[in-house]
Amino acid sequence: MQQIVNGVFTGSIYALFAIGFTLVFGILHRLNLAHSAVFAAGAFIGIELAENAGMPIWLAIPSVLVAGGVLGLVIERLAFRPLGGRHDAHFAGLISSIAVGAMFLALLQARYGPDTRRFAPDTFPQHRYDVLGVSVSLLQLTVVAVSLVLMVGLSVLVARSRLGRAMRAVAENPHAARVLGINVDRVTAATFALSSALGAVAGVLFALSVNSAQLSMGFNIELKGLAVIIVGGMGSLKGAMVGGLALGLIEVFAVTQIGSSWRDVIAFGLLIAILLVRPQGLFGSRKVREV
Amino acid sequence: MTTDASPALQVDDLVVAYGRVQAVRGVSFTVPSGGLVALVGANGAGKSSILNALAGLVRPRSGSVRFGGRDVTRRPAHELVAAGLVQVPEGREVLATMTVDENLRLGAWHRRSDADERIDEMYGRFPVLAERRALQAGALSGGEQQMLAIARALVAGPSVLLMDEPSMGLAPKIVDEVFAVIAEIQAAGTTVVLVEQNARRALRAATYGYVLESGTVAHEGPADDLLADRRVIQAYLGIE
Amino acid sequence: MFADSSTTFTLIALTGVFAYSFYAVLVAGQLSLGQAGFASLAAFASTQAVPDEPMFGVVPPLAVGIVVGMVTGAFAAFVLGLPVTRLRGVFLAIATLGFAEMIRIVLINQSWTGGAQGLSVPKLVGPPEAWIAVGVIGFWFLRQGGSKLGRALAAIREDELAAKAMGIDVTRYRLAAFVTAGAVAGLFGVLWVHFSRFADPNEFSFAFAVDGLVTTVVGGSTFFLGPLLGSGFFTAVPELQRAVGIEAGWLRPFIAGVLLLVVVLFLPDGFGGLVSKLGRLRRWGGPVLARGSLVPRSPMPDRTMDGTSPPPALPAPKLPPPGDEVVRMSGVSKDYGGVHAVRDVDLEIRGGEILGLIGPNGAGKTTLVNILTGMTEPSAGEVRVLGVRLGGSVPAHRVALAGVSRTFQHSKLFERLSVLDNVLVGTHRVAPSTLLRRMLFLPSARRTERQVLASALARLERVGLAERATTPAGDLAYGDQRRLEIARALAAQPSLLVLDEPAAGMNHVEAAELSELIRTLADDGITVLLIEHNVRMVLDTCTRVVVLDFGEVIASGEPDVVARDPHVVEAYLGTAAEGEAELAVETSAHEADGSGEQ
Repeated sequence: MQQIVNGVFTGSIYALFAIGFTLVFGILHRLNLAHSAVFAAGAFIGIELAENAGMPIWLAIPSVLVAGGVLGLVIERLAFRPLGGRHDAHFAGLISSIAVGAMFLALLQARYGPDTRRFAPDTFPQHRYDVLGVSVSLLQLTVVAVSLVLMVGLSVLVARSRLGRAMRAVAENPHAARVLGINVDRVTAATFALSSALGAVAGVLFALSVNSAQLSMGFNIELKGLAVIIVGGMGSLKGAMVGGLALGLIEVFAVTQIGSSWRDVIAFGLLIAILLVRPQGLFGSRKVREV
Repeated sequence: MTTDASPALQVDDLVVAYGRVQAVRGVSFTVPSGGLVALVGANGAGKSSILNALAGLVRPRSGSVRFGGRDVTRRPAHELVAAGLVQVPEGREVLATMTVDENLRLGAWHRRSDADERIDEMYGRFPVLAERRALQAGALSGGEQQMLAIARALVAGPSVLLMDEPSMGLAPKIVDEVFAVIAEIQAAGTTVVLVEQNARRALRAATYGYVLESGTVAHEGPADDLLADRRVIQAYLGIE
Repeated sequence: MFADSSTTFTLIALTGVFAYSFYAVLVAGQLSLGQAGFASLAAFASTQAVPDEPMFGVVPPLAVGIVVGMVTGAFAAFVLGLPVTRLRGVFLAIATLGFAEMIRIVLINQSWTGGAQGLSVPKLVGPPEAWIAVGVIGFWFLRQGGSKLGRALAAIREDELAAKAMGIDVTRYRLAAFVTAGAVAGLFGVLWVHFSRFADPNEFSFAFAVDGLVTTVVGGSTFFLGPLLGSGFFTAVPELQRAVGIEAGWLRPFIAGVLLLVVVLFLPDGFGGLVSKLGRLRRWGGPVLARGSLVPRSPMPDRTMDGTSPPPALPAPKLPPPGDEVVRMSGVSKDYGGVHAVRDVDLEIRGGEILGLIGPNGAGKTTLVNILTGMTEPSAGEVRVLGVRLGGSVPAHRVALAGVSRTFQHSKLFERLSVLDNVLVGTHRVAPSTLLRRMLFLPSARRTERQVLASALARLERVGLAERATTPAGDLAYGDQRRLEIARALAAQPSLLVLDEPAAGMNHVEAAELSELIRTLADDGITVLLIEHNVRMVLDTCTRVVVLDFGEVIASGEPDVVARDPHVVEAYLGTAAEGEAELAVETSAHEADGSGEQ
């Protein structure tokens, strides 16, 4: 039971990271490899706001959300929009987003140096609750709650709002969307902003939960995020959510059952199995696109 | 929006190129306000390229497009739609995984205040769409999809409607219905530019026509004259 | 860490070898990140196999390691590639990445690898070994470029569907590219650990693979020197930064990121693309884009090396005798969702015919052609084409190899390749493989190349495009693109040629020339299926006409009979009476100039 709680806790961060990742892929059919740099940036910005600017954490998290959105706009402008309709845009987008991610990390290094940074010990109240014999910290509850609220909010936005309708139109047929008078460039930019906003919050929540942030913190979660969005179905928000939570749970159990050194084999084994058996993923309904 | 004095559309020396290949090589024409102008010609003659350039979907290499007296060359599609220049695309391009209602709402993208009224108006005009409003557009028949594509464009409240091959892939009876709708649209005061492979059909509906060949205007004239012109029939229209 | 210049020199070569392992798949348009895994497996396999003393007293220990490593890498790529090469784009990249990560974790958990501590190994690699290796690999790709394999891979990269239509077994060739990548990555793994004297599973990580990919892309993945250029660039950048006094820390990675972005955005084909556009290097091997040729440095057939007559033509496959069944379709239907594109069509094509297929846009003509060429599976009905019974498991390239060549309604040329290279790809069905003979510079390889080239040039001549041979196909005017597609299809020496709207975009003079060309093809015994919108041209050209409307055959027979058929008139005109009169005019007009049949 305790393990389930821990699994959901880790899994909700995976899911929040992955849902932003998969949003860009689902709408724009582009893989944004700068997402991991945004994750790290979210963590560092959060620490900066809480420590140097003295912002309370409940204000710092929404600020990170906004900052992440701005980073998303920068990524779209620098790495994706200039590619336009180039025949190799999918491929070039991978490389150009790697480049922009590297630039972000270099700038973080310039500001914060190469060392690990931490929140001050009293940033977050250390309450713990016992529920049905399971110990849950306020931090864990907060992380899970924030993640769920953001993910559900995103899903509702995509399903119900005017912007969401435009995003789905662009996802299905960008040409038709343009014919209808939708400003596809603006929808694209908004998609990147939303994606990166969630990625940055995932970063600050992760930093809170392990109380540390390093420049390299995004790489591992990027690999897992890729596995999650494939398993869940590329572009499927529900798939990323369920996949992220499932991965968190599986990892916790894997550590106790087969040892921590083998933990990561699970994610990638599952990934390859899914790709071979059901390339559209568990929740992907659309035909797998050739990218 | 347009006065009787200035034409709805004025196209001068339009050139459209993809890479180094010129699809349209210096085409000029005028569409009078309230008129129905047909662009006809074989596949690959450049008809669709012209329409896409007018709609802001393709950037012309050179030349100019004036819409209601205003130069709109190279303006993006979303500005043109907002200004009332709307396309019904070739192949219909309904959003197959979205419902009929969502398709119409997307058509009303630039009409935030009166979207509901306009959509209801379309449901009144196309009862079959009202019946199917909650259905995915991909599940409609070809004829219904074409009606949806037309309704979706009309929701935007166009002063000029660009129609690309509205009869494509439809049974003759349905084609009759589509042309009846086009006649209604024109009668209601909307200017129509019609691109059609079915040249006879298009010229019969039109007031004025242009016959395109290899990206240039080969013949032009009042539609009735073109229909009667033996040279046009033999050289460009085949038996159609 | 690696301060002295000989180390830098070696690093350029080794990074180049790694980059070639990405190049090997990128030339086929595949994106794989599994190379770090192959390299890691090969490196650790070699640590177990490298002997202390030369084997049999003569074979150096490193050579043993290299053989073991390359075989290990190739084998691993084969096993992984069988299931995963059918994945495309980022899906392939992520699957191979997952594989590499699993390899890393498995190796860390083994005792014989030294686990996370790694293994010390002897230093066996210095500048000479590294540069010999990269030279051999570079040479391989230089020679591969102009071979039948190289052409097939370039075709797959540019347009997979068109490649299938030329008879290229896409699955097999993609796997071949993948296995090559595995072998080269294996070579790199062995060299790398015996250079750094240390084998550590954690070194072959995701970031390591991404570095390799980035190196290749920046260097250029369409020109055989690209990987080396990329490697030189990325090795030189930190050295230069050090030389101009930029301090370590954030500025160096920032500048590297900016440079990478600039190259990706402004040099789409990397440095290699830039170099191959300049000067004479472009004539060197490989499917060089634009103005290069896939047959490098081969003498043109009219100036043979030893002054003998031009080479004998490629042996031509046998054509079906006139009147024999070529295509038989019965009860064929195809539904897309609720739309019936084709319904219950019976169609027979016999040897020597020019069969015209007409009908309004959207009548199902192209769907029918796609069914006939194995590119679309019918929802119902039976199809037999040149003795091949089509069904779920018959891939399109098999239909092409049986002797069906086609053009596409919207030209599907390999746009970035030259006109000549497009036609050379078309010879795939009839051209013998030259890869291994090219590696050894055997005279017979050159002879074959000359035959293939002569054959391709003859097709270009036939459609009147010989002078445009070096132009990129994408730069041709519409009419020329149509003609080039026909030349490419003819290069396969087909029994049945399927032309999908070949006159679209042509003016009436060009269309008349095309009509003439089609008739001469039929004189040569080629059966033709002509789908055309230009009814007049069909009536002039074909021996029999089938009319399709709304997915169904509404008429079939000799051209003038069909032209008078009231169903046809109605389908095209909506109203019968008026159209009939005009059709009559039409038909008598072409009888008058002698081309009609009565």
